Amino acid sequence: MTFNFLIAPDFAPERFAGWHMLNTALQKRSGMDLHLLTPTSAAEQAAFLANDKADLVYANPFDAAHMMRTLGYVPFARPAQRSDEMVIACAAGSAVQRVEDLKPGCRIALTDNKDIKLIGLRLLEPADIAETEVQWVIVESYQAAARLAIKQEVDAAFFLADSFASLSRMTRSQIRPLVESAIGDISHVLLAHPRVASSLPSIRAALLALQADAAGQSVLDALGMSDGFEPLSQEEAEFMIDLMDTLLD
Amino acid sequence: MMMSSLPDARQVRLIYTDGTERTVCCTAVEVPFPEGRLIVSRTDLNGIITHANDAFVEMSGYEREALIGAPQHILRHPDMPKAAFQDLWATVMRGEKWHGYVKNLRKDGSYYWVYASVVPNVRSGVIAGYTSVRRKPSRTRVAEAAARYEELVKQEAASV
Repeated sequence: MTFNFLIAPDFAPERFAGWHMLNTALQKRSGMDLHLLTPTSAAEQAAFLANDKADLVYANPFDAAHMMRTLGYVPFARPAQRSDEMVIACAAGSAVQRVEDLKPGCRIALTDNKDIKLIGLRLLEPADIAETEVQWVIVESYQAAARLAIKQEVDAAFFLADSFASLSRMTRSQIRPLVESAIGDISHVLLAHPRVASSLPSIRAALLALQADAAGQSVLDALGMSDGFEPLSQEEAEFMIDLMDTLLD
Repeated sequence: MMMSSLPDARQVRLIYTDGTERTVCCTAVEVPFPEGRLIVSRTDLNGIITHANDAFVEMSGYEREALIGAPQHILRHPDMPKAAFQDLWATVMRGEKWHGYVKNLRKDGSYYWVYASVVPNVRSGVIAGYTSVRRKPSRTRVAEAAARYEELVKQEAASV
């Protein structure tokens, strides 16, 4: 039997090969046949889920809430030492010095990523700016968001912290972070559909043991997750979902 | 600086809804909310703290060991009206989410404002505890809340 392994579409493009390496490693080490699904948009991911095509999922935390509480997926692991954080940045020469300097009506560039938007909205609250008071500029990539910020065609841009860190040195020299989240308790998670239950122990064991040898470590390095994966209990995942629930409004 | 050396330090006797009392010292010193962070704690059904993240510990001024097992009202500032917390508890005990602006008291008597959200932790259909998350508030909203709370505190004092 082949299981589909769906990867949330918000991974950095340069990690694409890393996810294929992980899929191959897990197949070899667990003895299970895994087929990687890499939807390129939230809509494509939703279609896979609606058609019940996802057996294992590397899910962003906000989608995980729906998958666990509505669709019955079971959490089993998460990246170790790696929380989901975001950065609000502006042009290096911008007059905006802090979030509170942004005003209603401001223009903000971001990729189509609802997690980043939600956390960013919470960071905008000290500026008394609500979602409807921002002119959102949706772009295809975080590099495009950076370009708009640098040219000051927007007042600020939202970035996944990892994406911000992976911008070229030249680009980063032209933009300035206004605030970076340091939430610490929110991360992507690995979920399994209940039909995977009998095979899950071997897949989970293979995943958690990747750090134990050089070949496994190279897979983790290719994913940008050098600290490997750690177990995630149902209660730990529920706690994270409760926490995110407080950020929704 | 010792708290007692501050000219604006005052002592207030607080009586909590669980019947316990304590005298707290408070000053006019406000500590800014840490940028980009969330202050997170969990309590059991009785409001006893069972989890505190690093930001919670740092902002409270207490040691983690002193917080775990303590009642959440260890942070209660005398400028907060009882009505706010009554509303909080009534809301979350109904299984609903509560939001509000809260002035919290630090161990050293200084204070910090937060925008707090409290959600019931529903497990297998039953409320097992509560998660509270505080984030950096809008100063406009804080000013509005402070004025409203001042009025409520006066009304509560007058009704005793």
